[in-house]
Amino acid sequence: MGLRNTLLVARRQIGTMREDRYVVFLLALVVSLGVVSLLGARHHAASEAEQRARYRALVERQWAEQPDRHPHRVIHYGFLVFREEAPLAFFDPGVGAYAGTSLFLEGHRQNAASFGDARHSTGMLRFGRLTPATVLGLLLPLFVVAAGFASVSGERERGTLRLLLAQGATPGQIMGGKVLGIGALALAAALPIGLVTATFAAVGGEGQTSATRLLALAAGYAAYLAGWVLLTVWVSSRRASSRAALVQLVAIWVALCVAAPRLGASLAATLHPIPSRAQFTAQVEEAQRGVGDSHNPDDPFFSALRDEYLARYKVDSVEELPINWGGVVSREGEEVTSRINEEQQQELLAAHRRQDGVMAWFGLLSPYLAARDLSMAAAGTGAEAVESFRAQAEAHRYEIIQRLNDLHVHEIRYENDRAQRIARQEWTRFPVFQPSPPSLRRALTDRPQSLTALGLWIVVPLAGLGLGRRRLPRVGVDGSGS
Amino acid sequence: MAWIRLIRLEFARVIRSGGVAAALLLLLGLGVYASWQGSLRIQAAEAATAAAETAYRDQLAYLSATYPPATEAGEPLYYLAFPAPQPPSPLSALASGRTAVETASLRIRLLALEGQLYEHETLNPRLAAAGHLDLAFVLIALLPLFVIAVTYDIVSSERERGTWRMARLFARPRRLIAAKVAARVVLAAGLVTSLALIGAFSTGTDADGRAGWAVALIALHTLFWFALCLGVAGGRRSSTTNAMILVGVWVALTFLAPAVLSLTNALLHPVPEALELTVRQRQGYHEAWDLPKAATMEGFFEDYPQWSDQTVPEDEFTWAWYYAMNHRGDQTARDASRAYRDVLTQRDEWARRWSLLVPPLATQIALDRLSSADLRTQLAYQEAVRGYHERLKAHFQPLLFSAAPFTQVDWDRVPTFEPAVPAGEAPQAGLPAAAALILVSIGVLLPRIRSRPSPDS
Repeated sequence: MGLRNTLLVARRQIGTMREDRYVVFLLALVVSLGVVSLLGARHHAASEAEQRARYRALVERQWAEQPDRHPHRVIHYGFLVFREEAPLAFFDPGVGAYAGTSLFLEGHRQNAASFGDARHSTGMLRFGRLTPATVLGLLLPLFVVAAGFASVSGERERGTLRLLLAQGATPGQIMGGKVLGIGALALAAALPIGLVTATFAAVGGEGQTSATRLLALAAGYAAYLAGWVLLTVWVSSRRASSRAALVQLVAIWVALCVAAPRLGASLAATLHPIPSRAQFTAQVEEAQRGVGDSHNPDDPFFSALRDEYLARYKVDSVEELPINWGGVVSREGEEVTSRINEEQQQELLAAHRRQDGVMAWFGLLSPYLAARDLSMAAAGTGAEAVESFRAQAEAHRYEIIQRLNDLHVHEIRYENDRAQRIARQEWTRFPVFQPSPPSLRRALTDRPQSLTALGLWIVVPLAGLGLGRRRLPRVGVDGSGS
Repeated sequence: MAWIRLIRLEFARVIRSGGVAAALLLLLGLGVYASWQGSLRIQAAEAATAAAETAYRDQLAYLSATYPPATEAGEPLYYLAFPAPQPPSPLSALASGRTAVETASLRIRLLALEGQLYEHETLNPRLAAAGHLDLAFVLIALLPLFVIAVTYDIVSSERERGTWRMARLFARPRRLIAAKVAARVVLAAGLVTSLALIGAFSTGTDADGRAGWAVALIALHTLFWFALCLGVAGGRRSSTTNAMILVGVWVALTFLAPAVLSLTNALLHPVPEALELTVRQRQGYHEAWDLPKAATMEGFFEDYPQWSDQTVPEDEFTWAWYYAMNHRGDQTARDASRAYRDVLTQRDEWARRWSLLVPPLATQIALDRLSSADLRTQLAYQEAVRGYHERLKAHFQPLLFSAAPFTQVDWDRVPTFEPAVPAGEAPQAGLPAAAALILVSIGVLLPRIRSRPSPDS
């Protein structure tokens, strides 16, 4: 009996919304925006990926086709790597646009990545980007509000709420039915977007990984949108007039989706300031000054190192060493400077993590932030993907440079050092950069606040609906909720 | 006189109606916060400039102390990074545009330049992706919502309460609506004026032509929203329908249109040149190690014929050749670099043109221009850095060719960076947007002006 009433109310709500031409128009609009953004984003992602693949192949060929070269030359020749976007970046590009795409790896120094989408964009980007993720996270909630703000208050205004109650429907059944009805409409809007996303992901390959990630995305957005449906019905049930309900819901949307993310980012940046790139590189240089310069043979650090090697090999001068002293200096220098740079880098990253912490707590206030955070995590486009690329590129850089230094130490004689060459075949034996993205499990478990926020986002309006159930018949009668 | 009294009466009514005072305070608070943030950003930029200067002096002192006096100048110059800071424009504290994603303080070494221009800032991508809060955002994106909130039911609420008939007894409908709108415009004008004053005061922005244009544009933009609201709410629709339409238009103008235009712009003007120039510069420089030195010098003399009587030994390392080789890297990347800048310029111009159709976007893009925080300013900055690099090269080339020792450098005469000058006059940046705002405002009001005032229902 109870379920039947709930379903009746749901059907009634769907009927009302289907007759409302605004709602039908908005539904068509949201779905077409979702699909258009998918097409645009996919095209963009595909052409970017194609470009990166092309230049990646070019750089790898250039590396392999190097002539006979002195290994230290190759250390300066270095290697260019490109950050590949995650397969689902077309759905949620995440933070990708704000990080560099190409990174030059060379000896002695750790460069920062260059060229990100955001730097190629005009001021328009300030207002946000049209991506499938923003359609689902930003526009769909507003659509839910537009479709459902009058769900209970409208019945009240027309006097049909009393009728429903008189016919034996309990407040719980009425509100449950409303939630189901509006939820069905939200699903109707989200489903086409989800299906096109899944089709694109399937066509793009990747199979297994994408499937799990897609499921995580679906679950995240389902919870997020369910929260909006519950909130909409809750507010509508508490307000005497539909107009008041609409105004309040729009105000909530603006606060949560427009103001809160920006406020959070700005607070995080103020609480935990970071040095600019120029200040950062200057800091690294200053820290490295303490250990000396591998290009300077009279440096105190390297003099001590020389004495140590002379004692170990029981010889009197570096010329008598069975290995190439120049290569040793370069190798040891690289080890020290890399360590110092990585320390500074970790300090900067720690500041970023502290900023992220502020944002994560802000997510408890703004479910939009939390949902976006989880969406990026599931799509593999969060900040951790950028950092993982950086860390793996640095590991790769270190490996290649030290391998070249080892060649210098063992294959090049100290005498007449610079005139010697390593045969070109050697270059093809070097490993190719194959970064692996961070796992979905780690990305999700690193975000306890966002997961909690999304949970609260459902629990709070649900509790509100439950507790406000008994008051339903009285709203607007005794002067409350106007 | 009756007219003024009507407005005063309306004003008091609006201020006292539920939530309006709270919304006003909220906007005011956000505006004050954003202005304070802006002043912090300017302070940080100034600190970064000073730090770059200090870093340069420290490095110079370190290199002078470490290298024996006889060392050729070319060797320490390999390490020395010259500061090239672009001082922030004061107005960018309030309209920060693209400054969050851009570099304003590069440190330039004498090596190949193209590899040094495009490194990313240390910014946290997660914060950047969340969006940016400045006073311009409060006034362009949030203030219209306040305008909507106080005008969407300007007529319909009276109709719905049944007081419209009575109100019409005291004044003609058109006059009544005008008075109602005027009261709300006064309210918004007060808000904009106080925020502009607070902003200017807290960031030390001069009341110059640029600031004047910025305020004028914000005023026109706010008036556009009043015109739009009047156009919609002056009709006979219900309050809820009005609210839905206006919020829908707000979303379309402040989110959808910019996002769609931005995406279209990116698809129309792709930038493959970014990677191309990186690859080319590296290859152009490194190839030279395996070429005869004379060939590298040949290319160098094409750009610097004044040195063409110089020769470098083939079998010996010289710094003159080393830096010529670096120049070869830039030379090889030159076409790709130019193409890259051309595409970005096209993007900028395309955005400027199409933004005129979308009032919030037109205002934002014009403000970015006025506050020197747009893409074109970044390109101009890179151009200024290029010029600086050339002047440094011209200064050091004689020392490199004569293999002069480090001690011979007269450090007081080394060129210093000359920041890019904001291009164009303020009217050039503001006029098209102002004209567009006025035209669009008239456009949205037309249906209201032409229709006869409703005889009521």
